Amino acid sequence: MELDDLKNTWEDVNNQVKTQQNLTTKMINQMTQTKYYSSLKKIAYPEIIGAIICFIGAAFIATNFSKLDTTFLKCAGIISILLLLTLPVISLISLRQFNMPGDVNKPHAETLKKFAIQKIRFHKFQRINITLSYILLVTIIILFSKLFGRNSISDSKYFWTFSFSLGYIFLLFFSKWVSKNYNNALRQAEELLKELES
Amino acid sequence: METNLQILVDKNETFITAIKKNEGLIYKIAGIYTNDIEDRNDLVQEIIYQLWKSFDSFSQNSSLSTWMYRVAMNVAIYHLKITRRKVLTVPMEEKFLDFHETDNSNIEEKLQAFRQHLNNLNLLDKGIVILYLENKSYEEISEIVGISISNVGTKLSRIKEKLKTQISKKL
Repeated sequence: MELDDLKNTWEDVNNQVKTQQNLTTKMINQMTQTKYYSSLKKIAYPEIIGAIICFIGAAFIATNFSKLDTTFLKCAGIISILLLLTLPVISLISLRQFNMPGDVNKPHAETLKKFAIQKIRFHKFQRINITLSYILLVTIIILFSKLFGRNSISDSKYFWTFSFSLGYIFLLFFSKWVSKNYNNALRQAEELLKELES
Repeated sequence: METNLQILVDKNETFITAIKKNEGLIYKIAGIYTNDIEDRNDLVQEIIYQLWKSFDSFSQNSSLSTWMYRVAMNVAIYHLKITRRKVLTVPMEEKFLDFHETDNSNIEEKLQAFRQHLNNLNLLDKGIVILYLENKSYEEISEIVGISISNVGTKLSRIKEKLKTQISKKL
């Protein structure tokens, strides 16, 4: 189907849409009132729930910090707390990149350019978040064994062998998945931006 | 001298008339940029809300439909990201336009076919194609999109080639 064929089919859609004039004055009035534009749209619940969990986690580690009796565990504790505080912030900042622009009257290309820039920033933030999440995963494993187990898992001769080899495999597949999803989206956004700037 | 209330009432009436006159435009844009009815209805609400919000800033320099296309397409690209996140919206009280529940259910199939064809185009090309299909002149497309008239022509030729290649690859 070529563009002109699409145009013919589009005409059919046009004719059918014309017969469906369904908007009433009442409906339009409802839509223009703020109650029909949920301010909740701007709030991303998964991020907020995630942030609360992270902050609870950070508070838990902080209150049990005295149980971390070696320098290694203390370092893992500090890194975990820092990451648990940083990750939600990065996540929320990256989300804010996608706020609707204030002026929707601008030419479409101008809005698209802004959108592409925001998208690129968003994906860069996501990459940072994923890398930091992996580091957090490792430090949390170390801390959990100490805080919930009888002995420090890091004393076990099997821990380093298994955790890092499994961690490496996980990282390998995870980074491939990330590359596939994020790099494609990033490339598309960069290409769009390049086209808009040309 | 007109009271503020009277001005507001007049503005509201003008806006409602404008929306009713151009509602097909809103539904078509929403239909192309979304994949299901729920998303589409959310987007229609959002477009109408944003049109209302920016109605005061609408200058008579461009036609009403040109302004509406511009706002609708700008809102639609952002809505794509928002709806993917599955955040809450407020449901409509009245039954909203639902292509499935009308005797023209094949509109949905046609829109689906359009989306398949247009999904491989970037957002700029997609916007240009929609306006071309809407029988907009190169001048109008240029005004809505914000690129030169000659650039509209060049891009449309490239898009035609892209679509041809897509089809030949599928065959």
